[in-house]
Parts: sequence; C-alpha cells; structure tokens
Amino acid sequence: MQTSWLRHKGWTYGFRTTVLLYFVVLIVLPIAGVYAYAFTEGWMPFWESIADPIAWKAVLLTLKLALIATLVNVLIGTMIAWVLVRYRFHGRAVLNSLVDLPFALPTAVGGLMILLLLGPNSWIGGIAEKLGFTIVFHQPAIVIAMVFVTFPFVIRAIQPLLEEMDASAEEASYTLGASRAATFFRVILPQIAPGIVGGAMLAFSRALAEFGAVVLVAGNIPAKTLTASVFIYGEVESDNNLGAAAVSVLLLTLSLLILWFINRVQRRGGRA
Amino acid sequence: MRLERKPGRAIPGQKLAAQSEAASGIDGVKLKGGGDPAAFEQDKASNKRGGRALRKRLPTFAASLVLLGSLLAGCGGETGLAESGGAPAPQGDVTLVIGAYSVVKDSVQDIIPLFQQKWREETGQTVVFEESYEASGTQARAIVGGFEADVTLLSLEGDIDKLTKAGLVDKTWKNKPEGGMITRSVAVIGTREGNPLGIRSFADLAKPGVKVLYPNPKTSGGAQWDINAIYGAGLKESERETGAKDPAFAKAFLQSVHANIESLDKSGRASMAAFEYGVGDALVTYENELVARIHQGAKYGVVVPDDTILIENPAAVVDENVDKHGTRDVAEAFLDFLWSEQAQRVFAENGFRPTDPAVYAEFQADYPEPPGLFDIDYLGGWSEVREKLYSKRGVWYEVLAGVS
Repeated sequence: MQTSWLRHKGWTYGFRTTVLLYFVVLIVLPIAGVYAYAFTEGWMPFWESIADPIAWKAVLLTLKLALIATLVNVLIGTMIAWVLVRYRFHGRAVLNSLVDLPFALPTAVGGLMILLLLGPNSWIGGIAEKLGFTIVFHQPAIVIAMVFVTFPFVIRAIQPLLEEMDASAEEASYTLGASRAATFFRVILPQIAPGIVGGAMLAFSRALAEFGAVVLVAGNIPAKTLTASVFIYGEVESDNNLGAAAVSVLLLTLSLLILWFINRVQRRGGRA
Repeated sequence: MRLERKPGRAIPGQKLAAQSEAASGIDGVKLKGGGDPAAFEQDKASNKRGGRALRKRLPTFAASLVLLGSLLAGCGGETGLAESGGAPAPQGDVTLVIGAYSVVKDSVQDIIPLFQQKWREETGQTVVFEESYEASGTQARAIVGGFEADVTLLSLEGDIDKLTKAGLVDKTWKNKPEGGMITRSVAVIGTREGNPLGIRSFADLAKPGVKVLYPNPKTSGGAQWDINAIYGAGLKESERETGAKDPAFAKAFLQSVHANIESLDKSGRASMAAFEYGVGDALVTYENELVARIHQGAKYGVVVPDDTILIENPAAVVDENVDKHGTRDVAEAFLDFLWSEQAQRVFAENGFRPTDPAVYAEFQADYPEPPGLFDIDYLGGWSEVREKLYSKRGVWYEVLAGVS
C-alpha cells in the first residue's frame, strides 16, 4: 500500500531541516540576539552594566536563592517521587496528576497565593511574625516561589527511573545482608542519580529566570530581595535595554556554564 | 500528559540526548541516535523500521511544518493586527482606539457611553471603542512600537514625550485646556484604619519602625510622582530652614524614608495589593488610587501631607494614527469631551481632582488643597527631574544602591 514517493529520502532531509530551522528560529536566534545586543556598544558599557553593584548583587542573590530552592526540590522531590512510585494508596493517581499543576498555573497566580497564605494576615504568616521573622517580601518568600514553580522537574525526572528499576538488584542487596540505608545509598541512589541531577539542572535554570511569582512576593529591594529577573525587568521598563541585555548575558552564561559542567560530570559518572 | 515508561522521556524538551545516554546504561535499552538533533523523533520510532518508521514520522513531520508555518504567520500577523484598527469601519460607524494607563480605566469606561450618546445626537454616527489599559510607560512603549491608538491617556507628561519623540504626537498637544492635563491628584500617604502610628507627613515615614511601601520608579513610571513628592518635601523643608532649596538635604531626606522601605513594588497596583495583604504600615500613592479603594469599601486612612506634589495626568490625540485611520474628527471630539463638565464630574467621582475649575469648586470639600502643595516646576520641570533624579547615575540610583 506504500507508494514509492513516500519512501523518498527527501522526507528525512526535509524533516531534519524543519527541526533544525525550528530550533534555530525559536531558541538560537533570540539568545544569540541578546548576546549581540549586549555588546552593540562595545565592551565598556557592557562591563559598566555588570559592575553596577545593584546588578551583580541581584545576580548573586538569585544564584544563592535558586540553589537553595533546587536543594529543597531535590530532597522533597525525590521523596515525593519515591512515594508516588513505591506506595499504593487511595488518591495516588490524583496526587500524581497534581504534581504538574504548578506548570499550568500562571506564576503570578502562584505568587498571589503565597501572599494570601503566608502574608502577615494569614495564620502561618502570623506565627512566623510572632517568632520574629517575616516570610513575604523577604528571602524565604522568594525561595518558596522558586520551589513552587520548579516543583515538578525533579519528580518527573526520577519517576520513570524508579519505575524501570530492576527489583532484583535491590533484592540481592537485602539478601546479602545490607541495611535499608545502605541499599538506598549504594544500590537505588546511583540508579536514580541521573534523574536527580537532570531534574535539578532544569529546576535550577528555571528558578534563575523566575519572574511572575517572585516579583509579587519579593520586596525587590536591591542587595536584599531584588532578583536578577526583576532587575532586568526594571531596566527594560526604564528604557535601559543595554543594561537589561548585559545582565541577561551574565545570567545566560552562568546557566550555560553550570549546565555544561553538570552535563560533563554526569557523563563521566555514567561511563565510570 | 501520560508518562511513558521510557527513561529520558519524562519531560519533553529537556536535555533528552544527555539523559537518555545516561539512563540507557541502567536499563540496557539503547536508544538510537543519541547526539542527533532529531533524536527525539528517532527515539519515538526506534523500535520501528523502514517504511513503518517513515509512516510514523509523517504526521509529526506535517505537524512540524504546520507549527513552523504558524510561527512565520505569527511574525507577519503582528503587523496585520496593528492594521486592523485602520480597516474601514462599517458604514456609519467609526472605531476609536483608546490606549490608556490602567488607573484611569474605570473613569474612561464611565465616560465612553456619555460620549457615544453625545456623538450620536450630533452626527448620527455610532462610535465603537477599542480600549487597552496598561501601565503608563508600557502603554507609551506599545504605541511607539506600533499599537495604533487614536487617543491616549497617560499618567505623566514624560510618557507623552516618548510619543512626541517618536513623531506620533504633535508637539502642540499642550495647546489644550489646562495645558493638556485632564485630571489632577496629589501624592498621599495611605495608613491603616485610624492612622495608629499618627503619620502626618513624609518626614514621619522616616521614623524608626515604620514599614513603608511604594513602587519603584524604575519599573513604574507613575511611581516617579511618589518619589518626586518625597524628594520635593525634602526641598521644601530645607527651604524653610535655610531659605534656599538644598538638593543634598532633599536626597538625605529621601534616603531616610527609603531606609524604612518594606517592599519596592513593580507598580502602584502591586503596592496597593501588598498593602491589602497586610504588608507595611504606610504606602505612598496617588490620592485617586486610595480614594477609589475606599469607595470600594476598604478601610484605610488617607493622609494628605502639607508638603506634597500636584500630580497632573495628560491626554492627547495620536496624530499619526488618526490621520492614518481618518478618525481625527471623532478623536479630537473625544479628547475635548474629557474636559467637559460631564466627564470631569466622572473623574471627580472616581477619586481624581478635576482640572475644570467649576467642577473642582463643586468637589473642593473632598479634595482640600494642602498648604505646601508644589508642582513639577518646583523641582525644575520634567527634563530636569529626569536628568537629576532618574538618569543612570541619578539621585534615585544612589538612594537605591546606598551611595551617600
């Protein structure tokens, strides 16, 4: 029933060209554009934009908070993935579908919810206030917002690995007298590690760029609660596109280096 | 999305090649074409061969083409959309595009039916309105970028200047009643019900323990009014003490207030939202914003400081667009209508101070004039303010960065 033109090699080439073109138009061009734009006036204005204490402190703060958010997600995400795969209980399917919801919600709505639930008028916010610290408009709120929007990454990266895992290795470990902890750290963890690292990488890069939720719950005060994305937005709004591009380049380059580095480590680990 | 039991495919669009490589060592499934850009599709077809694989790919191929097509169409569509305002209106009808700042939305929506009725009585024509409301600076940028608004209402003159600079609005836009300004307001301090901290002036905001909210002029052009008010109050203070305006004193004054900042919000609306969620003791905002919220039932105190700034909001016809659309008559008529007694009364009811003297007299009890009221000229006019306060290394930058 196949006609010969359908078997033509041109389809494959056509398909590859389309995919490549898509990739170039959608990903490569905009990012290359940011790089090109940042240097339109040469190296000095770029350097001045980066050397601005407000700018580099915002980047540093973003890196710090994104790292914390990623660590939280790695710990909690691994546990949630474990529970969702290994345990059978009522509502498991519902929980499983709920995991992806942070992706479906506009992040600004997420931010608004954090304000509502953790603000000074809420009971959680009230308790925190009595203990002497405020959540919203301070750094904890930024971390919470970042954890919220990057929640699904680690879980979804680990789940398939846990499901595919060969039970015999685990059983062998127990049979040979290994404790539960030893089995987890020496048999299970190495198998899901690529998922943890992959998910963490995605969560980290996404947290770096988070804007919608963070701008609502952060105080946006330079050096205290101003993240890079909000800083960039401010530069665009005050018609300083060059400054915005320069900080974006810094952020992009840092993410690229981190992703590339982790990728390398991961590959080397995989080979060993 | 259903998760398939295949490693490396957990989330589409993630680093597939890398992960499938790492994962393949574990479960022994070798995925084809690890480093190929088409790996994602090959992976899907990896267990099929030859013609079957091709058939499997075909729909995806077609889908990619469609997606790419829509992407390209999307690029072209932008200009198409912008031009839609210029399409000839149905016979007898005329379309007017309004590009305004968000705060004025309620007033404009109250005024539109009044104008439609008036225009129908005068010409028999029905005016169809298309409205867009954005933060003032964003709206100005949108119009410069090709959003074809016929009439624009913005929160500050500087944003109209962006349009004159782009050649969209004629430089004579100020040759209108009240210098092109349709509404006024003053910068005020909103407090919790009953003003528990006894705040009376901007100087009180610098007292220890007062948590202050105001938006950042970097992200919200309208917030320049708030900062101008605090800075100007500092100038007033120095003038009273030494007889001359002292910019250094005013900057220190602004810094002392800024030391109490709890949140520098994205916009006036965001500040208001934060205040409503219980953050902070006082917020600096426009009188009309606060009055509008109080009309809706919120219970806040409004403190009009003795020294504060007179806010003036301009409106203008976007000459280039009305000439293109052939809507000059109706656009001019709408703009003029904004100064009519009817429209000015709507503004007054929505919390603005009307610029029309007769209507203002009517509402004067609600909008008392503070004794130390000053306008933008007291600070040297907009160009001076932009240069000294909001330029790249201006006063506001130094306050933000903590440079003394």
